[in-house]
Amino acid sequence: MRALQNMKKSKLTKDQLQKLMLSAMGFVVLVYVYFAFFLGPLNRSRAQMLAKMNELQEKIGSSKSEMNKASKLEQQAGTATSRFDVFKNLSPEGAPIAWFPPRMKLFFSNYNIEKVTARLDSSSPFKDPELAAWMRYNWVIEMPQTDFITLGNAVAALENSEPLLALTHVNIKALADAPQFQQATLSASTTLVKR
Amino acid sequence: MPLHLNLLHEEIYEQRQRQRDPLKLGMYVLAAAGVMMFAWYSWNAYETLEIKSRLGTVERDWSKIEPRVTAAQKRSAELNGIVSTTKVLDGMIDSRFFWAPFLEKVSRCVAPNAQLTSLDGTADDTKGVAVSIEGVASGREPRAAAEDLRQMLLDQLGQTYKDVKVEFKTLEDLDTLANVAGANMPMARFILAVDFNPYSNASKAAAPARARAPKHEEKQAD
Repeated sequence: MRALQNMKKSKLTKDQLQKLMLSAMGFVVLVYVYFAFFLGPLNRSRAQMLAKMNELQEKIGSSKSEMNKASKLEQQAGTATSRFDVFKNLSPEGAPIAWFPPRMKLFFSNYNIEKVTARLDSSSPFKDPELAAWMRYNWVIEMPQTDFITLGNAVAALENSEPLLALTHVNIKALADAPQFQQATLSASTTLVKR
Repeated sequence: MPLHLNLLHEEIYEQRQRQRDPLKLGMYVLAAAGVMMFAWYSWNAYETLEIKSRLGTVERDWSKIEPRVTAAQKRSAELNGIVSTTKVLDGMIDSRFFWAPFLEKVSRCVAPNAQLTSLDGTADDTKGVAVSIEGVASGREPRAAAEDLRQMLLDQLGQTYKDVKVEFKTLEDLDTLANVAGANMPMARFILAVDFNPYSNASKAAAPARARAPKHEEKQAD
C-alpha cells in the first residue's frame, strides 16, 4: 500500500506505465481464460448434470406410479383379456377362404341342410384404429334347399355360436316345384384377425 | 545541526524503485487473484464432483428400474389396446341384429290361409332393418286375410322392435282359386314392406334378452 501511495505521489515513468498496462492486460487475459476455459465449462457441466439428475429422479418417481398403474390395469383387464383371447381363437390359422366355407358346410349339414356353399364376396380393413389388426370378410352362403323351421333353427344356432358373425341380408324363396321347401341365401359379415 | 551524509543514496533509490516496480506489483495482484480464482474453481469442482457421484447413483438406480418400467409401459399399452379392441368388438356384437327371433315371429304370424313365397331382408347399422315379404292369402275375403297378416306382423314386431312399419306395396286379387279345407277360395297376392329399427333405445336395453332368444327358440322348436 505504501508502495502504491509512493507511486501515486511520484509521477510514473514511461517504462512503469508500460509495465502497468502489461499487468492490466495480463489480468484481463487471466479473467477471460478463467471464465471461458475453466469456470464456464465447469458450471455448464454441473448444470447439465443437475438437469439430468432431476429428469432421472422425476422418471424414477413416476415409474413407481407407472408400474402400479400397470399392475392395477392387469387386474382390471383380466376379463377383457380372456374375452379378447376367445375372440382371437374364433379366427383359426390360415386364410379364411380356406376354412370358412367348409366350416359353414359342416355347420349347416348338422342341421340337415345339405349342399351349402359359401363364397367370399369382399374383404376390407376396419377404419377404427382399435381394429387395425382385424379384417371384415363378407360372405354369401347359399342353401339350395331347406325348410323354414330348419333354417330358423340353424340361423339361431349360427348367431349364438359365432359372435363375430352378423347376417346382413337374408333371402328366402319358395321353390317353384316343391313349395314346402325354400331356397335361402344369407349374406354374412365376419370380423376376423388379420393373418 | 549535525551533517548527515548518505553514502548509500544510490542504492536506496534503486531499492525504492525496485519496490514500486508496477510489473512486480501487478504480478503480485495477478498471483493473488489467481490464487482466489483457483480456490473458487476448486470449490466448484468439488461440488461438481459431488453432483457427478450423486448422478452416478441415480443413473444406477434408473438402470435397475428402467427395464421394468419399459416392460410395464409396453404391457400397459398392450392392455389398453386389448381393452379398447374388446370394447369395440363387444359393441359390434351387441348391435348385431338377430334374424332368428324375427323369422320366428314371422312364422307365428302366418295363418293357415296365407302362404309366404319370398322373404328378402336387409339389416343396416344406420338405416335399420327393411324386409320385403311376398305371399298369397286365400279366403272368402282374401284381401282381409292379407290385412290380418299385416296387422299381426305389426302387433308382433311392435312388441320387440321400435318404429315398426308394415305396409302393402302390392295387394291384388288373383284369378286362380285355392282349395282350403275342401272349399275353393279366391286368392290375393301381396307384397309387404316391413321396416323397423332394432337399434333404438328400448331395443338396446332388451339386447341381452334378444341375444339369448335364439337359444330359447331352439328349445321351443325341439
